[in-house]
Amino acid sequence: MASGLAIEAKRLFKAFDGKTAVDGIDLAVPEGSIYGILGPNGAGKTTTLRMLLGIIDPDRGERSLLGRSRPLEVASQVGYLPEERGLYPAMTAREAVAFMGALRGLPLATGRARAEEMLRSNGLADYVDKPIRSLSKGMAQTVQLFGTIVHRPRLIVLDEPFSGLDAINQGRLEHLIRDEAAGGATIIFSTHVIAHAERLCERIAIIAGGKVRFEGRVSEARDRLRPQVRLRTRVADGAWRSALPKGAHHDDGLWSFELPQAGIEPLLKALIDAGAGIEDLSIERPGLHDAFVAIAGEQAARELADSAAEGDVR
Amino acid sequence: MMGFFHSAFVIARRDFVATVWSRTFLFFLMGPLLIIGLSFLFGSMSGRMARQDVHATVAVVATQADFEPLAAARERLNPGFGERALPTLVREQPDGDPARQVQALLGNPSKRILAVMTGGLERPVLTGAISGDGSIRKQMSLILDQAAQQRALAAAGRSAAPVAIEVVETDRSEGALAATRAITARAGQLLLFMLTVLLAGMLLSNLLEEKSNKIIEVLAAALPIDAIFVGKLGAMLAVSLVGIGVWVSGALAGLALLPSQAGSLPEPAVGWPLFVLLVLLYYSANYLLLGALFLGIGSQANSVREVQTLSMPVTVGQMLIFLLASFAVGAFNSPLGLAAAIFPFSSPLTMVARAAQTAELWPHALALAWQALWVWLTVALGARLFRRNVLKSGGARGGMLRRRRTSSPS
Repeated sequence: MASGLAIEAKRLFKAFDGKTAVDGIDLAVPEGSIYGILGPNGAGKTTTLRMLLGIIDPDRGERSLLGRSRPLEVASQVGYLPEERGLYPAMTAREAVAFMGALRGLPLATGRARAEEMLRSNGLADYVDKPIRSLSKGMAQTVQLFGTIVHRPRLIVLDEPFSGLDAINQGRLEHLIRDEAAGGATIIFSTHVIAHAERLCERIAIIAGGKVRFEGRVSEARDRLRPQVRLRTRVADGAWRSALPKGAHHDDGLWSFELPQAGIEPLLKALIDAGAGIEDLSIERPGLHDAFVAIAGEQAARELADSAAEGDVR
Repeated sequence: MMGFFHSAFVIARRDFVATVWSRTFLFFLMGPLLIIGLSFLFGSMSGRMARQDVHATVAVVATQADFEPLAAARERLNPGFGERALPTLVREQPDGDPARQVQALLGNPSKRILAVMTGGLERPVLTGAISGDGSIRKQMSLILDQAAQQRALAAAGRSAAPVAIEVVETDRSEGALAATRAITARAGQLLLFMLTVLLAGMLLSNLLEEKSNKIIEVLAAALPIDAIFVGKLGAMLAVSLVGIGVWVSGALAGLALLPSQAGSLPEPAVGWPLFVLLVLLYYSANYLLLGALFLGIGSQANSVREVQTLSMPVTVGQMLIFLLASFAVGAFNSPLGLAAAIFPFSSPLTMVARAAQTAELWPHALALAWQALWVWLTVALGARLFRRNVLKSGGARGGMLRRRRTSSPS
């Protein structure tokens, strides 16, 4: 497997009871990057992460985590926040964080000290010795997140980390992800919310139907679509319209079309020469949502939107 | 990467602390008190029932002259019956209508007559609700035989006084030892059995918390599933050993308060120190054999209701194993005894009893090696079940039977 990659997967395949969940997925997550796996519910994101972490074995394919083909060999350098959050209700917040650290080889005493520091610095000083069952859902999720990073892992795997969090806590989590990445950690997270991937990630994988539809930089995904030109003219009709590229469509006084391969200048000259009377012209770079629709299709985009709505409800 | 046993230790430490610091552990510690209490309750109930048997009353419809030989015969025989005394005989004067008189006596609530005897020594007839095991009929028959023999001797002008036996007491005899060691053997078996019964519920529901709280995913991502399994098994073993420590301390304190009872425990054939060691070894083997199985089975359950459903066959299975081992006591070389010693799940119970009753040591070495093999196999099987049921993954590979994971390239 290539060096410089925190995670590499080749042709991973997994089926449950004869139904394919993951169908030949390839991934390459560079060390030190923030990497997003974007896809609707049931796309195979969680199964992929579970295979990468060694929780389940793939039926076929190869995987490498921090350069090791056996994920548990590097368990002490990995932090994992599963989609379905879970803590022992009777444990105190401090003990829960320390225990999760101990699972990754961190001595209990160190884990307790770090837990207290993390909880206090995040406004949870009053809850350090409170049992998990007495915490709100948001607080419990924060405690689990601290447990995920208490041992200062090189690789942090977060499965739907924003699911169920309110806007404030989502903002905090984004901040934390950036901080960890700035500290040198590699972060990979799955999400069905495009905005999170767009804001945070350098690279993404778009997964739908168990297959990777795109893998690369966010900018590369966007670049799959030509920039969109929006044009408003003073003259409604005339010869200038023949200068518009093929596929241009008119809606509510606004013309929209892809930026021609030759660039905007020749088009602009043609429009001026033909007397279009340009009132307003803008070139818009496509968002990740547009790229997702183009890459994964309308159906997957609808499912993604549904998943995001479900996630908000949760 | 943490070593296998360090990983198991992390799980064991959490489970041990969580269990020992829980309220339910107090109930666990009180388990033997409950058993002792129930034993006393059933003991007193059966004693009471036995006393009610002892005081069974048989009315004898006879003249004073005909009744006296029967009463004398009863008095002569009764001491030999100990607690299960012969029925009390009460005389009823014949009123000329035997059939009516018998019915009246049997129906009289104040007299509480079990049966009525009519016809004297010549033609005795016993009437009453005495079908059962026929013990009243046999006892009355014995009294009548004795009375008839005494009357025959008297008619011949002779008499026979009871034979007096001179008793010379010795400190020990093999027969007496065998009898008393059987008590130790059964006590050892009962101890092991009760401990595993008490732990079975805990083991069956051991994974419920992790499954219901989704913690299992966090554990499985950090540690080998086999280590989680072994850790959980080890934690419960440690919990049970704490329990045993508390109970033994309590028992010793109790014996100190009752010094007259302290010396009454029969010494096992292998001697106390070795017996205690063997009990601990066999307990551990028994616990690991059944515990691994229960933990593996319990990992299938997703709710308390499912655990309760699983508990029934598990308890029945334990009872059958206990019964098999019980049959082997005192008959270790019989086919059943050998089967109980060879069958891995009854072997520890059987061998504990053997340690109490026979002094040979080589069968224990053999049995422990045999059980160790089965412990390994059962733990491996349990871990495999556990892996398959907990994560819906594993299939035909992995685990302690084949540790190497096949999916990862080198």
